[in-house]
Amino acid sequence: MSRAYRIRVKERLRQDLSASDEVCADLEVLEILPGDQMAELLSKELKARGFEEKDGELIRSKDGVTVIVDPNSGKVSVRAEKEEKVELETEKEGWGYDDVGPQGQQIRRQLSEQAKAELERRSQRQQERLQGEATEQLEKVMGDVRKELSDAVNAVTREALKQKAAQLGQIKEMTEDPEAGSLTIKVEV
Amino acid sequence: MTESPPPKSVSRFEANLLRILRFFLKHVPAEQAMRLVHDRIDRPKCLSADAVALVRDSLAKGCVLYLVRAGAWKRDRFVRDAAPKFGRLWERSPVERLTLSFSPHTLDFLMWITAHRPKEERPIWRVDGKQLTVADRLLFFLAYEAMRIDAELGAALRLSPVFSDNALIWLAHPNDFAGETHTVPSFDAWLTEPGSLILEALQPVLEHRWLEIERTKGQIGDWTQLNQQGQVQTRVMDAFTQAVDKAGRRDLVRFLLAVMSRVLATPDLAPTFWTGGLQGTGPQRLADRLEIQRNALAVLRQAERLRGWERQARRTGYMDEDYAASKFWLSEWERFDFTTVADRADRVLQQLEPLRIG
Repeated sequence: MSRAYRIRVKERLRQDLSASDEVCADLEVLEILPGDQMAELLSKELKARGFEEKDGELIRSKDGVTVIVDPNSGKVSVRAEKEEKVELETEKEGWGYDDVGPQGQQIRRQLSEQAKAELERRSQRQQERLQGEATEQLEKVMGDVRKELSDAVNAVTREALKQKAAQLGQIKEMTEDPEAGSLTIKVEV
Repeated sequence: MTESPPPKSVSRFEANLLRILRFFLKHVPAEQAMRLVHDRIDRPKCLSADAVALVRDSLAKGCVLYLVRAGAWKRDRFVRDAAPKFGRLWERSPVERLTLSFSPHTLDFLMWITAHRPKEERPIWRVDGKQLTVADRLLFFLAYEAMRIDAELGAALRLSPVFSDNALIWLAHPNDFAGETHTVPSFDAWLTEPGSLILEALQPVLEHRWLEIERTKGQIGDWTQLNQQGQVQTRVMDAFTQAVDKAGRRDLVRFLLAVMSRVLATPDLAPTFWTGGLQGTGPQRLADRLEIQRNALAVLRQAERLRGWERQARRTGYMDEDYAASKFWLSEWERFDFTTVADRADRVLQQLEPLRIG
């Protein structure tokens, strides 16, 4: 008598997923003072804005976004990173026969392969989702980072101009208009 | 009354070969000659004396006529002995320095292309590049240019180092090498006479090609294609500008000045001129999308190098040996109002940057 078997195969996948996106640019800092002094002013300004110095670079990480500035070369990198542990599980079911037709061993192997392939696909989808989130996060903060770094560069330029003016002579008058972004320094030489 | 000599008679194979050669030299339309290129015909052991004389005559007159029409006729300035010289190509250099010598490889190639179907024949015809003269290379450039209208045939020809190592082919048709890992071949042969004289004559041809490349970029919808084209253009332009700089022939990038000044004639051009045709959202990562868009603007990036040359030229003193060449470069710079052009290129490049700071 022919007997049919129901075969169930379970597969699990545990994975550490990670996704990142990054944008690099150059800060255009005017060389009002010698390069090392401008770098020092930039470091000071960025530290005041929450950056920390590490191996000559200024780094700030917040909400999964890391901003790295090299004050000497002016190179900036904004990087968003996401990490996630996923645990996926799937179950496949098939039939095996003890006389004619596919045998249990063979069915089990096929089901296992199908289950693994499905887990791979699901994992790939998770990876894409995570990548999308990292990119979205980067795009979201880009405007704020740009504004902040731009403000920092302006502050450095202002400070450098003041120091340069002081080197030229005695500062008699200094007026700043933050609205218009202008700085007027009168120097007596 | 003197009778004109009877016309020379040639075999069917020789007639086909001559027609293909004249097609390369742009004297015969493609529809007449491409059929002969695709056909197979038994190769004779040798050519008749009459056929050889006709090939020699076609090469001598055809190559010269091509170069004259391409741009040698123009009264222009190019560097001779570290100083600019004005006139048509044959007025700038004595005729004996304009001689083109073909090696037997040219005739062998013509026989091969006539006898075989290049799309199917493997291995494709090849020869050691060291044995080739500049004239041979010019003919292979013309042959490639004529036959690349059939994309499959062009791809087949690029399997041979005769074509894939010809720097002039890379310079005129960089996109044909998009996606290939091959390194850009050396431009040395084209920066010493008579190669440099050919490059002078070909300036309008190169200008036309690169202008076409820039103007059609905006119609490319495929992100990968645009990326690969941008990458190969950067590689070719970097190699070429470095080579001309080393050879003291910065004047040979005149076509690039002309292309950029024509492309950037409009002051408010946006990056979408180059990237506007891209379909879909492209790669998921912002970094990848940005990289592709930056590559699309490969030609504009050359403005920075050219600006460096301009600064260097302004620092050159009267007693420096390259004073005359530097002055000439500055006059070219002014002629194309390149300060304005380079500023516009900068602005377009900046618009692409999501972190525009400073």
